Amino acid sequence: MSTVLTIDNLYKHFPIAGSKQVVQAINGVSLTIEPGETLGLVGESGSGKTTVGRCIVGLIEPSAGTIHFRDADLALRQRHKRELAGKIQLVFQEPNESLDPRRKIGDTISEPLLPLRLDRETRRRRTADALRLVRLQPDLLDAYPSELSSGQQQRVGIARAMVTEPELVVLDEPTSALDPTARAEIIDLLRRIQSERHTAYLFISHDLSTVRFISHRVAVMYLGMIVEQGSAETVFNRPQHPYSSGLLSSVMLPHPHLKIESSVSLKGEIPSPINLPKGCFLASRCPFVIDRCRHEMPPAETVGERHTVHCFRHKDVAASVPASDTFNVFMKEAERILGRTVPSGVKPSLHQPTT
Amino acid sequence: MDAVETMNKARSAPADTGKTPLIDIRNLRVTFPSGGAAPKTVLKGIDLAVKSGEIVGLVGESGAGKTTLARSILGVPPGPGRIAGGEVHFEGRQILSLSEAEFRRLRGRRLSVVVPNPRAELNPLLRTGDQIASMAKIHLGVNGKEARRLALQMLRDVQIPDPERRMDAYPHELSGGMAQRVVIAMALICNPAFVISDDATSGLDVTVQAQILALLTKLVAEQGSAMLFITRDVGITAHFCDRIAVLFSGEIVELAPREALFLEPAHPYTLMLLASFSHSPRLRDSWSVPDTSRRRELAAGCQYADRCPIAQPVCRERRPPFAENGPGHFARCHFPVRHG
Ligand SMILES: Nc1ncnc2c1ncn2[C@@H]1O[C@H](COP(=O)(O)OP(=O)(O)OP(=O)(O)O)[C@@H](O)[C@H]1O
Ligand SMILES: Nc1ncnc2c1ncn2[C@@H]1O[C@H](COP(=O)(O)OP(=O)(O)OP(=O)(O)O)[C@@H](O)[C@H]1O
Ligand code: SF4
Ligand code: SF4
Ligand SMILES: [Mg+2]
Ligand SMILES: [Mg+2]
Repeated sequence: MSTVLTIDNLYKHFPIAGSKQVVQAINGVSLTIEPGETLGLVGESGSGKTTVGRCIVGLIEPSAGTIHFRDADLALRQRHKRELAGKIQLVFQEPNESLDPRRKIGDTISEPLLPLRLDRETRRRRTADALRLVRLQPDLLDAYPSELSSGQQQRVGIARAMVTEPELVVLDEPTSALDPTARAEIIDLLRRIQSERHTAYLFISHDLSTVRFISHRVAVMYLGMIVEQGSAETVFNRPQHPYSSGLLSSVMLPHPHLKIESSVSLKGEIPSPINLPKGCFLASRCPFVIDRCRHEMPPAETVGERHTVHCFRHKDVAASVPASDTFNVFMKEAERILGRTVPSGVKPSLHQPTT
Repeated sequence: MDAVETMNKARSAPADTGKTPLIDIRNLRVTFPSGGAAPKTVLKGIDLAVKSGEIVGLVGESGAGKTTLARSILGVPPGPGRIAGGEVHFEGRQILSLSEAEFRRLRGRRLSVVVPNPRAELNPLLRTGDQIASMAKIHLGVNGKEARRLALQMLRDVQIPDPERRMDAYPHELSGGMAQRVVIAMALICNPAFVISDDATSGLDVTVQAQILALLTKLVAEQGSAMLFITRDVGITAHFCDRIAVLFSGEIVELAPREALFLEPAHPYTLMLLASFSHSPRLRDSWSVPDTSRRRELAAGCQYADRCPIAQPVCRERRPPFAENGPGHFARCHFPVRHG
């Protein structure tokens, strides 16, 4: 099957009212997502993750560059209206943001079906399917959002996105408002839906440990650019961009002995996207900086299969710490600490519906 | 040297940890009125002592009572909440019995709190330097010039870029990370003996968060203060708290030194919490009960019984004791999990 999403050299600049300056939110983003694949999009606040997502779902128009959904150019969204209907969906961070408090859950979930011009019976069946997919009880169709926990509300948000049977879902921090247990349940759910329906995800998150486990590939954003992109395993185990390396080393796993090694400690804060520096955007914070970085933008270099890096010194960065797979070591440790103590009377019951 | 290393280094030279705790919370109970019916007990008898130089983490899910505890220690439970019993001993005094005027002199001076959402804490109309300096003027009684000098030094200590210029900046001109540093500067300028950080780093990016944590730890160590570090991010506490308390439904269900809590967790709730970070559905399922709808408060017995996969009949009848299972390792459970 062909690539689901292809973004080529995307730019988005927001004008600032009463000023000639612009916010340079996205500065040349290129990426692809294959069917059934999860691309994790990470980066500090303000790096442009949401803006990329909003361009994909058509909430805003790019300033330059192209986005293709399969073969359809999304700049011509209107022309492809029929074939695109319901194919790309969005899930928000705050579950209640996408839920109308005065509307019943069932109506909220089925709303995206209205433009598809399905008959009543099909709409009803699709809604019931979506509800089952996210493991909510049918009697909740008549409930209002305030009667649900935030974890259940986010399930509704996901059901609403899945009801049109999309091929691509943009998940913009779908779990950051949730407690650890609810978060873990949502992540399981998303993985299961993906394996059932082969849906592709753009998974935007600050939670790098979750990104590591849910993503096949990751893209690391900094000031509107993807500075490194590759398979989750390669990027996490041996980052080649100083920013990816520094970002990953700030992750704190719940284990007192496991820490991600890095030669980069990011100091200071992300510069303003209004006056971007001339050369590499990281130069002011980068311990690997050389003179050249300050006046020349490093080009994208392919360093492996579907693995690109924007850094003059990526080889030195990769060599600066030994490759390690801390996340997998952590999982093994969790197994050791929590696994052997599993109560004997309790059977592992994978994906039990929560009633 | 990265931020975590800096933290550990700062931690490796703890200040004098004498036998008497700096702050000693005993059987603290807080209730909220609930329209006619019996008041809702939100803190059900908290016992926690913190020594000078120590950083104690407090973790628990949303609604567990973390903020209620933080605010009650300062004598101001949130909203209509009421301290229904218990004592807080601090520097030799039972502070919950102080008059409001006496308490006000203590807050900000000897006891202070750093909250999330720094913008809400800062006065949008005042320059940051003046806001920090006013803390010193009020609590330390220094003159304006000296207060400004201290404020500038504090901005340097919290590593704000270009501190002289930031003295004159208004809050809206600061990024979130800078505003959080300013709030920390205000909380620490009077050299408080006890600092409570309530979710103060949760809104920040991980890279900024690592810097702020390193900073808090360093300042606490340098000043010989103690800190209660409240967070929903269990991972943080594994790396820079000396001890960790796990709060569930208004009760501390487990309290242990860092290594013991993460490597030999004893309370089924702690195991469930840790399992939810493991990315293993199997581990999670084995530490949780599938049915979430029957969760309710139990009058007697263990608060966790309805969610506990190893609950026995006795758990619903008798409140489990807060028993010590290893050195400094307590769990409120009739059947604590044993390792090894
Ligand atoms: N409508 C807008 N008008 C002007 N500037 C905008 C607009 N939307 C976003 N921006 C700016 O574009 C940049 C990228 O913002 P974006 O929300 O995409 O970042 P993000 O990576 O999603 O951040 P976060 O992690 O905080 O959600 C920011 O500097 C932001 O202030
Ligand atoms: N103003 C209030 N009126 C009534 N009940 C309240 C009020 N504030 C808090 N509560 C109750 O007290 C309990 C504890 O709340 P608290 O804010 O202390 O939790 P928390 O652990 O800080 O949660 P979070 O992680 O969301 O900040 C909650 O279950 C809530 O129902
Ligand atoms: S190009 Fe230079 S400044 Fe940019 S990340 Fe690489 S080494 Fe650092
Ligand atoms: S006392 Fe019983 S119900 Fe409570 S946590 Fe321990 S085993 Fe579970
Ligand atoms: Mg965003
Ligand atoms: Mg709170």
